[in-house]
Amino acid sequence: MPSSPGPADAVVACRDLHKRYGALEAVAGVSFDVHPGEVFGLLGPNGAGKTTTIEILEGIREADGGEVRVLGLDPRREARQIKARIGVQLQTASLYPYLTVGELIDLFGTFFPRRLPQQRMLDALELNEKRDAQTRTLSGGQQQRLSVALALVNDPELVFLDEPTTGLDPAARRSLWNVIRDLRTQGKSVLLTTHYMEEAEVLCDRLAIMDHGQLLELGTVEELVSRRFHERAVHFADIAGLEDSRMQGFPGVKRVAYEDGEVLLYTADVPATIGAVLAAADALDAPPHDLSVRRASLEDVFLDLTGHALRD
Amino acid sequence: MDALLSLTVANMKSFVRDRAALFWTIAFPVIFVVLFGTLFGGGGTADYRVGWVDQDRTLASAQLEQAFAKLGVLTLTTTDQASGLASARNGQLDAVIVVPAGYGAATAAAGSAAAPGAPLALTLYTDLSHPTDAQTLEQIVSGVTTGVNQALSGRPPLLSVQTRPIQGSAVPTGATYYVPSILAMAIMQLGVFAAIPLVQQREKLILKRIGATPLPRWTLVGSNVLLRLVIASGQTVIILGIGIVGFKVQVTGSWVLIAGIVALGALMFTSLGYVIASFTRTEEAANGVTQVVQVLMMFLSGIFFPIDLMPDWMKTVATLLPLTYLGDALRQTMVGGSPFVPLTVGLAILAGWLTVCLGISARYFRWQ
Repeated sequence: MPSSPGPADAVVACRDLHKRYGALEAVAGVSFDVHPGEVFGLLGPNGAGKTTTIEILEGIREADGGEVRVLGLDPRREARQIKARIGVQLQTASLYPYLTVGELIDLFGTFFPRRLPQQRMLDALELNEKRDAQTRTLSGGQQQRLSVALALVNDPELVFLDEPTTGLDPAARRSLWNVIRDLRTQGKSVLLTTHYMEEAEVLCDRLAIMDHGQLLELGTVEELVSRRFHERAVHFADIAGLEDSRMQGFPGVKRVAYEDGEVLLYTADVPATIGAVLAAADALDAPPHDLSVRRASLEDVFLDLTGHALRD
Repeated sequence: MDALLSLTVANMKSFVRDRAALFWTIAFPVIFVVLFGTLFGGGGTADYRVGWVDQDRTLASAQLEQAFAKLGVLTLTTTDQASGLASARNGQLDAVIVVPAGYGAATAAAGSAAAPGAPLALTLYTDLSHPTDAQTLEQIVSGVTTGVNQALSGRPPLLSVQTRPIQGSAVPTGATYYVPSILAMAIMQLGVFAAIPLVQQREKLILKRIGATPLPRWTLVGSNVLLRLVIASGQTVIILGIGIVGFKVQVTGSWVLIAGIVALGALMFTSLGYVIASFTRTEEAANGVTQVVQVLMMFLSGIFFPIDLMPDWMKTVATLLPLTYLGDALRQTMVGGSPFVPLTVGLAILAGWLTVCLGISARYFRWQ
């Protein structure tokens, strides 16, 4: 038996994970560790291979190649032991439509050797007033909360959340973020996937950026940003006639990028760059609209890594 | 065990709260029982195999045999009363007619001036588990006796017909044929309809979600089977209850054997449901296939139309369909109906279907 990959205390360790569907290589050599007690995020667009990766770790899909340990166990041979100790929320939230919230929580409890009282889940996910409602009558946000509640019935050490806030309105999203923060406070480890930059920035202790089945970058948000961007970005609506090559020559500018009809000038000297932009705009008689400055964000990291913006 | 029971209860709740499922498995068969029990009648024109028992052996009784033979719808076989009734009970004859000794003497007396005593009775033994046939035969026989009586016009009626069931002591009613059929139909529907929630749960990834828990898969299958068995018991009680209370059906067979056949039928058709779920991906497809399967079974398996009335190609189909044998086995055990095949053969065929369906499901059923 090969020795366990990664640090001895990693709750998830995977090395060179591969999974192929016909001609499509969904996961092409992914390696990362999740440390105990951290919220780890897989960030990437739809089709990046996030769900396939997470489902291999959950033991409901088999990898074609690579080495995986979850809680020190091998999902290929010890899936049942793993499943007893993890919590799983799948991307789709629909469940037995004719059962009530309370019944469903109790039912799932019986699937595990160890379970928490129903009331704990209802309180944590703010589902108390929906306890006797059939699940088909729940709103999208409530269904999603129920889905997370079911992932917690066995008081898991490690929780997998696959796009937990997709399709939720901002208020519902924030309320789920609080639930995930609570999980970390309780010392649980969380592995979540998302394609929301903001969510990854707010929630994740560390994250990996994934695209086309590969991990492009891994670290804390701070690390990811500072690794690439020492500069700040001066951005404004694209001005006709202002050439790319000319902006490259503005004082302080390291790099020029475009995003959503906006120009981004990554610069080491914000005042000098802004001065140059204003002067050039004045000369062209085209005032720069929406001129502002920002620190590089995860969005910039993603754009820089993949050459395309991350959207829903 | 905890999980198995909880899952079964959860499935039961889902089932009861889903009004459509409840209608098809409980209300629909009940409507059938009431409709058929009330409206059965009418009939087909089959060639009936009739045992001819001539206890008179005179010229007159031979002429009576000729009169029946000339009708063209009866195939008469000369026999004695005991072996004729035995043949009728195992399905080789549809009816037995007994001409009592003294018939020749009575007609001779009627021809003369001497007044006869009480009218002489032909005895017609029919299989009341096939009420349509029984009624038709009774009409045919009384048609002939009326003819004989008219030929001796001006005289008090000479001949009467006494009808008796081949089953002997039990006095079956018309619903006797249909109640086992409807029970068989209900069990068939219950089983094949198992495909729909399965495909639904797979499509909505409920099966996948449960697959992410340590619950063993046999528990999931087990709870499904348990649910179907519980509902089948409920159907049996309700349908037989209505038959017994409302339509005076007398159950002659062993309750243990009936329960066993119901269970075998429920298992067999549930496994057929799994087969359907193995080859359909969407709920709509499962719905369509299930409907087609159940309608074909219902009309081609001889549970509502006697197999003897079917054209040959249909007969061939009927002998292949499992519902034929479930209906036949239930009819034999519950009301002593005449067998299409011996009980052990029927049960063996059902067990064979069960085995094949299990094999196919084990090979092709997908959880996600």
